[in-house]
Amino acid sequence: MNRILIDKDQFIALKKDSELTIKNDSVLTLVIEENIDLVFNIEKVKTDIYVYAVDKSLSVTINANKEKSICNFYYSNINYDDNKYQINVYHKAPKSEVNLYNHGVNVENNKLLYDVTSKVPKDNKECITNQDNRIINIKDGKSTIRPILLIDNYDISSSHSAYIGKFDDDVMFYLTSRGISVSKAYELLLKGFLVHADPEGITEFMDELSKI
Amino acid sequence: MLEIKNITVKTTDDNKLILDKFSLTIPKGEIHVIMGPNGVGKSTLSKVIMGNYKYKVTKGDILFKKKSILDKSTEERAKLGLFVTMQDPMAIDGVKLSEFLKTALREKEGDVNLYDFINSLDDAAHDLKMDPSMLHRSLNKSFSGGERKKSEVLQLKVLKPEFIILDELDSGLDIDSLKLVCKNINDYLKENSDTAVLIITHYPRILEYIKPDRVHILLDGQIKKSGDRKLAEEIESSGYLSINEVEEAKNYE
Ligand SMILES: Nc1ncnc2c1ncn2[C@@H]1O[C@H](COP(=O)(O)OP(=O)(O)OP(=O)(O)O)[C@@H](O)[C@H]1O
Ligand SMILES: [Mg+2]
Repeated sequence: MNRILIDKDQFIALKKDSELTIKNDSVLTLVIEENIDLVFNIEKVKTDIYVYAVDKSLSVTINANKEKSICNFYYSNINYDDNKYQINVYHKAPKSEVNLYNHGVNVENNKLLYDVTSKVPKDNKECITNQDNRIINIKDGKSTIRPILLIDNYDISSSHSAYIGKFDDDVMFYLTSRGISVSKAYELLLKGFLVHADPEGITEFMDELSKI
Repeated sequence: MLEIKNITVKTTDDNKLILDKFSLTIPKGEIHVIMGPNGVGKSTLSKVIMGNYKYKVTKGDILFKKKSILDKSTEERAKLGLFVTMQDPMAIDGVKLSEFLKTALREKEGDVNLYDFINSLDDAAHDLKMDPSMLHRSLNKSFSGGERKKSEVLQLKVLKPEFIILDELDSGLDIDSLKLVCKNINDYLKENSDTAVLIITHYPRILEYIKPDRVHILLDGQIKKSGDRKLAEEIESSGYLSINEVEEAKNYE
C-alpha cells in the first residue's frame, strides 16, 4: 500500500491503493484513476477531502483519530458501467465530526451500489456523524444505497439522507421558466450536484460532466 | 399583448378541471389584477401561461403579441418575454443565484459582458436591499420567505421581461419590503412602459403601491366580475360571496 503524508493543500491523482495520513489542516483533492482502496487517517482539526471519479469502484476507510476534528468528505462520481462504492467511517476519538457527501450520477442503465457505514463506539462521546447519499439516474439505472449508522452512544448527533431518482421536474420547470434550455438546466444541476469546490484543476472531470 | 381566449385547463395527470372557458385580455402597458378564493386556479393560470407540464389546455388559445404560444416550450415562452414571480419559489441546491442568472441571461442575449453583468446584479441587489452574499448562495436555499420574493424580483430586473405575472408577491414581505419591492417594479415599468403586468393577490394593499388599470374576480374557473381598483376594496370588506353571479364578465380590450 502506497503511504502518503499530507501536510498542506494538495491535488493528487491516484492509481494505487493508498493510505493517506493528514498531518495538517488541509484541503485535499483526489482524482481516482483505477478501482482502488483508500484509507484516511485524520490527525488534525479540519480536513476537506474532495474525491472525483469517472466509472470507478472505490473502497474507503476514514479513521477519525483526532479529538474535536472535523472532516468533510465529498465523493463525486459519474458512472456508465456497474460500480460499487464502499465507505466505512470510524470515530476513534471523542467529539470527532465526519460529514459525508456522496453524490453519484448514473448515466446509462447501469447498477450503482453505495455501502455507507458510520461507526461510533461506546467510549467516544459527543461525536457528530452525518451522511448525505444521493444518486441521480439520468436514464433508468438501478441504484442501491445502504446507509448504516452503528452507534453505541446516546450523545451522538447524526443524520442520514438517501435519495435515488431523477432531477425534480419542478426544478426543471423553474429553470426553464427563466429561459434556460433543458440541456443547460441539466448542466447547471449536475455541476451543483457534483462540484462542491473550485473546479480549477479538475478539468477532465468537468469535461466528463459536460458530456452527460 | 396577452390574450387568453376561452381556455379550458385540466391537470395532465387526472383530468381535473381547473379553468373553464376562461378569457382575459391584457393590453401592453396595462396592469391587471386577479383576485379569487384559495384553490380557484390563480397560480394554475400563471403556470399554464408558462407552459407547465402539469396542466393541459384542452380548448381555446393563448396569444402573446398576437401569436399562439400553446405549442411553445417553457424555455421559448420565457425567451419571448414572459415571466412569473412564483408564489413559492423553489430552492435549488448547488446552483448559485448569480450563476443561474448569468446562464439565463446568456441564453437570452447570447454573449454577456461579465463586468456589466456583475454590476447590474450588484445594483439590483442594492436596490432591493438584499445582502450581496445571497447572490453567491444556492438559489433560494435557506432564504427566508421575504428573501425568496426579493430574489424573484431581482431576477426580473436582470432578465427584463415584457409581460410579468406577480403571483402573491405580497405574501411573505413585511410592509417596508413590500413598499421597496413595489417601488422597484414601478421604476421598472417607468423604464419599460410597454410592459404589461398581471398581479395575483388576496389583499388590496399591494394595489396602493402598484396602481392597477383593471381588477378581475376569478370564481368557478372563470372571471366573474371586472372593475377598477374599488372592486378590490369591495372584496376586502365583503368577501367573494357578494359577487353577483348574474353579472357577466366583460373583457377589457
Ligand atoms: N397538479 C395538480 N394536480 C391536481 N390538482 C391540482 C394540481 N395543481 C393544482 N391543483 C388544484 O387546482 C386548484 C387550483 O390551484 P391553484 O394553486 O391554482 O390555486 P390558487 O387560486 O393559486 O390558490 P391560492 O390562493 O391558495 O394560492 C386547487 O384545488 C389545487 O389543489
Ligand atoms: Mg396560488
